[in-house]
Amino acid sequence: MLTIITGLLMMCTTIQSQHPAERLPERFQSYRMSERLNYTPDNLYEYINGAAEMYLSYGLKGMYGCRYTAENLPDVTVDIYEMAGSRDAFGVYTQSRDRDEYTYGQGSLSYPEATLFWKDRYFVVISADRATPESTAAIGFLADAADKAIHRKGKIPGIVGLLPAEKPVDGGILYFHHYIWLNAYFFIADFDLLNINEQTDAVVAKYGTPEQRSYLLLVEYPDENATVAAYRRLMQRYAPESGNGQSIRLEDGTWFAGWHGGKRLCAIFNSPSLKEAESLLQATISKMQF
Amino acid sequence: MNITRRDLLKTASVAATGSLMFPFVSGKAWANGQQRDSSTVVLIRDQRLFAGDRPDPDVCRRMLDEALCRLTGKETPDRAWKSIVTADDTVGVKTNEWNKLPTPSVLEDILKEKVLATGVKEENLSIRDRGVLNDPVFRRATALINIRPMRTHAWSGVGTLIKNYIMFSPKPSSYHGDSCASLATLFDLPEVKGKTRLHILVMFTPQFHHTAPTLFSEEFTWRYNGLLLGFDPVAVDATGLKIIESKRKDHFDEHRPLNPPAKHILLADTQYRLGNADPSKIRLIKLGWDEASYV
Repeated sequence: MLTIITGLLMMCTTIQSQHPAERLPERFQSYRMSERLNYTPDNLYEYINGAAEMYLSYGLKGMYGCRYTAENLPDVTVDIYEMAGSRDAFGVYTQSRDRDEYTYGQGSLSYPEATLFWKDRYFVVISADRATPESTAAIGFLADAADKAIHRKGKIPGIVGLLPAEKPVDGGILYFHHYIWLNAYFFIADFDLLNINEQTDAVVAKYGTPEQRSYLLLVEYPDENATVAAYRRLMQRYAPESGNGQSIRLEDGTWFAGWHGGKRLCAIFNSPSLKEAESLLQATISKMQF
Repeated sequence: MNITRRDLLKTASVAATGSLMFPFVSGKAWANGQQRDSSTVVLIRDQRLFAGDRPDPDVCRRMLDEALCRLTGKETPDRAWKSIVTADDTVGVKTNEWNKLPTPSVLEDILKEKVLATGVKEENLSIRDRGVLNDPVFRRATALINIRPMRTHAWSGVGTLIKNYIMFSPKPSSYHGDSCASLATLFDLPEVKGKTRLHILVMFTPQFHHTAPTLFSEEFTWRYNGLLLGFDPVAVDATGLKIIESKRKDHFDEHRPLNPPAKHILLADTQYRLGNADPSKIRLIKLGWDEASYV
């Protein structure tokens, strides 16, 4: 009896330690696995050149995957990026999608040539050299298989939950902790204005219509001193006339509002009105207090 | 440069320039440049470029010849190409092999034909992307021709002519810092310095957006049917960038900045003095099809 239990436990451990890429099928439909892919942070550039930097900015641990081939059909590739944690996988996903679907994993996006999704600490990309009915079907099959091969779910970074209840634009939330991505939706500064790094959590979200767009930035620092320092820098460079932190109207007619409290900093950019800027800011502050 | 949007609003440059290319650049920043007074860029487009799914070689050849004649001021294609390379040259044609949107093979074939027609010996011509540092022809090259398609890029904003020389570095990743800010210094490498005779930015089907870094979707390309030619890679890239940014605004119906911004083009002008990105210093000559040219 003890032997059976030990055996079962060992089997479970093996399954748990297997990388999701190792659980993908060797064959399906007309396709067979022709190559396994395995890259580290140090050599991922050999696979995707400078594009590796985006993954590195989210703490890439490794990329494992495989390529499938079939006679007279486009190759299909599965790339499974293992990130430092689920927050990073979520961050890469928010960089990569411009609308949210939930067909696979914890958030996905599909189009004829590819599907991408995130789940647990993994960001998965399944793509074909070109779109055909067969390759699109193969992508769907493999997305389902990869989804099932990842057994756990990851946590969405807590800072995302602090965004106001008013719904941001679909696909309009981006999570990051590298200053390069500060300008993802809206140019703010061409340098690290807010001291954003691995120790910070940051999210930027779009609200309103294209004609009346507000951008909400929320950053959580490791301690209050870091928050105060970043807030002072922001106000000095962006709104020196703001005085006690009141909202101000900028030269282009849009409104800016800034706030800090505890470890958090919030700023509203490009708001069409004072009311909108303060409403978004207050809604965020309220969310943090309750 | 340490510029914030507010700095620019104070100098009214965002509103004044209406700049989609470099929303973060003020007139003052440009004024610091010490490049030549102006750079000429030739844009040529042909509505009949594609025959089915492929570019028509005859149309491509005609486009290249006509654009080069205008750029060089020569009356015939023969003279124009001979003003770019001579029979004594050893020529490296630096392409881009990214499999989703490579330098079109038809253009490689035409460049080969044109270079050989100037009298360059076949053993003194090499056309490639990766491995240029180990290629014997590139190692002894006296002339380079730089050609690649433009596309959005996950770390440098856009893949450019400036960026195309990264394979001349023994350690390409050393140029990745601050979203590839220092790419212009590639042009100081001994394998490159002073050798480039012509830059060609292929705008047949540019990619104006991407989702995951390496993903490619035809949904985010369009048939622009163009070529941009020039002697100043910064000016050619800046013109291409303007087209990409304008297409993004058209497609998304709002200004969606490149993520991250293509600051390496800007810094190639303002910091490294490689060429002109300032639109007021770019003399653009437009030839052929003009509908929705964006510039």
